[in-house]
Amino acid sequence: MKSRTVLIAATAAAMLSSRLAHGGQTAAPAAPNACVTCHSGLPDTRLARPAAAFAQQDVHRDRGFTCIDCHGGDASASEKLRAHDASRGFKGKPTGQAVVATCARCHSDASFMRRFAPRQRIDQATEYATSVHGKQLALGDGRVATCASCHGAHGIRLVNDAKSPVFPTNVATTCASCHANPAHMAGYTVANKPLPTNQLAQYQQSVHFAALTKGNDLSAPTCNDCHGNHGAAPPGAGSVVNVCGTCHAVFAQKFATSVHSQIFDRGCVECHSNHAVLKPSDDMLGTDARSLCGTCHSGADDKGANTATQMRGDIERLKAGLEQSGARLAGLKNAGMEMSAQDLAMGTARTRLTLARAEMHTFDAARVAPVVAEGLTALADVDAAEDRAAAELRFRRGGLAASLVAILLVVVALAVKIRRLERRG
Amino acid sequence: MVQQVVEWLDERIDLGGLKHFIAEKGVPVHAQEIWYYLGGLTLFLFAVQVCTGILLLLYYRPAATEAYESVQFIVTRVPFGWLIRNVHSWSANLLIAVAFAHFFSVFLLKSYRKPRELTWVSGMLLLFLMLGFGFSGYLLPWNELSFFATKVGTGIAGSVPIVGHFLLRLLRGGDDVTGATLSRFFGLHVAVLPALATALVVAHLLLVQRQGMSVPLRVERRLQPGERVKQMPFFPNYILRDVLAWYVALGVLAALAAFYPWELGKKADAFAAVPPGIRPEWYFVAMFHTLKLIPSHVLGFEGERLGVIGFGLAAAFLLSVPFLDRRSNDGQNSPLYTVLAVAGLLYLVAFTIVGYIAK
Amino acid sequence: MQLTPFADVPAGPGRAPFNRRTFLDALLTVGFVTTAAAIAYPVARFLVPPEAGEAATNSVIAGKSAALRPNSGLIFPFGSKPAIVIRTAEGDLRAFNAVCTHLDCTVQFKADTSQIWCACHNGLYDLAGNVVSGPPPRGLESFTVNLRGEPGAEDIVVSRGA
Repeated sequence: MKSRTVLIAATAAAMLSSRLAHGGQTAAPAAPNACVTCHSGLPDTRLARPAAAFAQQDVHRDRGFTCIDCHGGDASASEKLRAHDASRGFKGKPTGQAVVATCARCHSDASFMRRFAPRQRIDQATEYATSVHGKQLALGDGRVATCASCHGAHGIRLVNDAKSPVFPTNVATTCASCHANPAHMAGYTVANKPLPTNQLAQYQQSVHFAALTKGNDLSAPTCNDCHGNHGAAPPGAGSVVNVCGTCHAVFAQKFATSVHSQIFDRGCVECHSNHAVLKPSDDMLGTDARSLCGTCHSGADDKGANTATQMRGDIERLKAGLEQSGARLAGLKNAGMEMSAQDLAMGTARTRLTLARAEMHTFDAARVAPVVAEGLTALADVDAAEDRAAAELRFRRGGLAASLVAILLVVVALAVKIRRLERRG
Repeated sequence: MVQQVVEWLDERIDLGGLKHFIAEKGVPVHAQEIWYYLGGLTLFLFAVQVCTGILLLLYYRPAATEAYESVQFIVTRVPFGWLIRNVHSWSANLLIAVAFAHFFSVFLLKSYRKPRELTWVSGMLLLFLMLGFGFSGYLLPWNELSFFATKVGTGIAGSVPIVGHFLLRLLRGGDDVTGATLSRFFGLHVAVLPALATALVVAHLLLVQRQGMSVPLRVERRLQPGERVKQMPFFPNYILRDVLAWYVALGVLAALAAFYPWELGKKADAFAAVPPGIRPEWYFVAMFHTLKLIPSHVLGFEGERLGVIGFGLAAAFLLSVPFLDRRSNDGQNSPLYTVLAVAGLLYLVAFTIVGYIAK
Repeated sequence: MQLTPFADVPAGPGRAPFNRRTFLDALLTVGFVTTAAAIAYPVARFLVPPEAGEAATNSVIAGKSAALRPNSGLIFPFGSKPAIVIRTAEGDLRAFNAVCTHLDCTVQFKADTSQIWCACHNGLYDLAGNVVSGPPPRGLESFTVNLRGEPGAEDIVVSRGA
């Protein structure tokens, strides 16, 4: 009895101090937790670390859950036999399907979750079952990811906590902890080819990665945005356009109307790659050595080659016009002419260039041409205004030349007058 | 008509003394007389600055958020604003060039000798004021170049021994170049410096009118005892020539304003990186480059500080030249000071060129 | 020495009908007057306030209030950049920078969904300027809207900054 009182007091003190140290978390229970007390003191780190992590920072702990809520057993017992008693519900360390079952016991229970996080989804387990990970697990494969592999088990953080392994900026590294490890991925194949392990390296070259990590744009896609969260599986070849199209709707729409939508096996990926999505350039369009169209299209009688050449030509013409008018505009502004209306028109022309690059995904030169034409018309107006400004500039210099004549007249007359004066004097 | 006005005034305030003065005033005629016109030219250009400056003042706004835009407004929207602004910018440069030419000609001709010591001192101070005008005015358009040039320039002021940091804060209106600096420089440029300059110009002109033009030693020595130097009447001969020079300057200014307009530049951004190759206006380049060439530490002292002290000593020396050059005072040749003047001129020209060529 | 200029014609009989001296003086006078006018004219024009009144960096008139119907938008120039003023279905006036934060295309008002839309890559903003969907990384800068003028014929004045 005495030792138990001491134990309770010690545990309460430990919990109180831990609560004070992590200040202001939701109320920790007053119930005794012998598990943490015992396990934290164990020499084997595999047993000590989980307890320490859970005690330090965990989203479940903050809401009043303890070890026994997942592992079962008796949290008030101070000896191992009683604490780990199977008759008291002790399950030990869950592995494989047991992990999913443990988590799903609460997280798939709508009325239970409503008490803690009413907006959170409760279908993760069902989704997981449809995923490659879930299906492999069902076949008895113990190497695949389960809930704990991505979310952790003991120091779990909310998904919107920047230190969580499933926070958007961390997702790629978490997935790569298995998928970029050749030893771990050995033996897995898709379409009779071994699964690649270079996805992370490729993704890190992409504009999506740059937007996410350097551009502070948390809406930029990472692994789960295209492959799914819990129902993780590569999108089927037929649905690449749909996946990319969730964000890139305009391009998906235009692509869907094009001939390539019937021909490309891998949709957007044919030109833009799946993981190493780089910043596209106009060089990709056309039939020269650096272009992508040239991979399939070539020759004067190839309709596709002609379309590519035409579209590229139109876009280049607009670009050249923009540069030329822009340079002349800068020169006139520097000379002091008021050109803000032309700045506006240049903005319109530049918008047309962006629109043309989008329209190009219809792979129809007749659709790109009118957009470019609008841009060129705007530029024509700019050029006309620039001509007027240049004329005004010339007028000013003409005015100056006229006043210089008057000045010269005075200078000469003065000189003659002085000479006259001196000769007489 | 002019006659009638003069008579009307004469009846009321007795212009007799003035009329006599003008009638009798003469200007020496000799081989070196061409240098006489530089003073009047400097005055003319200063007057142009005052007039165009006042006109610009009607539209300019001395606040960091509005300065650049107001200059843009003047140049693009105000009728002939481009002309006024460009004349002001070009005339500033011409003014300083002519002021330096005036200074060097006086230095070389030893016109500073007795009894014209005070004229020299007031003129020297005016030259420094003109440089101050140039430095303060340069910031006012609040573009990238002017912002950073001011930053560098005021930073150098911090190298003055003992009072350096105080001086830097005084100039900048704080620790950094900000809108406070702009306000301060504006106040300097349109109020403080003009007031000082007006006083000094009046003093300088009064002295010149009272004492007449100095005659070079060589010419003086060739005179027979009792002989006076050949003179031309101040009015109308000299005045007409002066006006001729002013008209030429006017033509040059108009041409520069129309063919080489001053650019607006990019609006100043305190957080942008210093553009590479930043340097002050040409009239500071020689000094600036000298400071750059001094090694960072010389004999245990900070190089820049030594440079600044050096310039301070040079300025003090220049102010005291009439009192130091005994030989000129006595009417003798003073080759030392001729050499010093030539050396100074060569130094300024050479270092300005080098400052532009060097990376 | 003569005191008064331009009056040094020797008196006496037999003055030639054409006097070079007076011609020179006349020429000089013409020259002086012309150059004086060439200076006075620009200065006079400079002094007269221009149409624009003051540097239009911070405040622009977008249009007439009566011309902007509920649930519609209008693009207008704000300096050298486009801006958009919107009247919501309830009648509120809102104004934003119309440069899309994605790739600088000019946005427009989409009446069917009452949102601000960028045609280039389908960026969507709500009527508070916040990004709803699509690629834009940031919302649109919002401007202050005021009405000024005779009731019934007010101008919409859009301004930015303090």
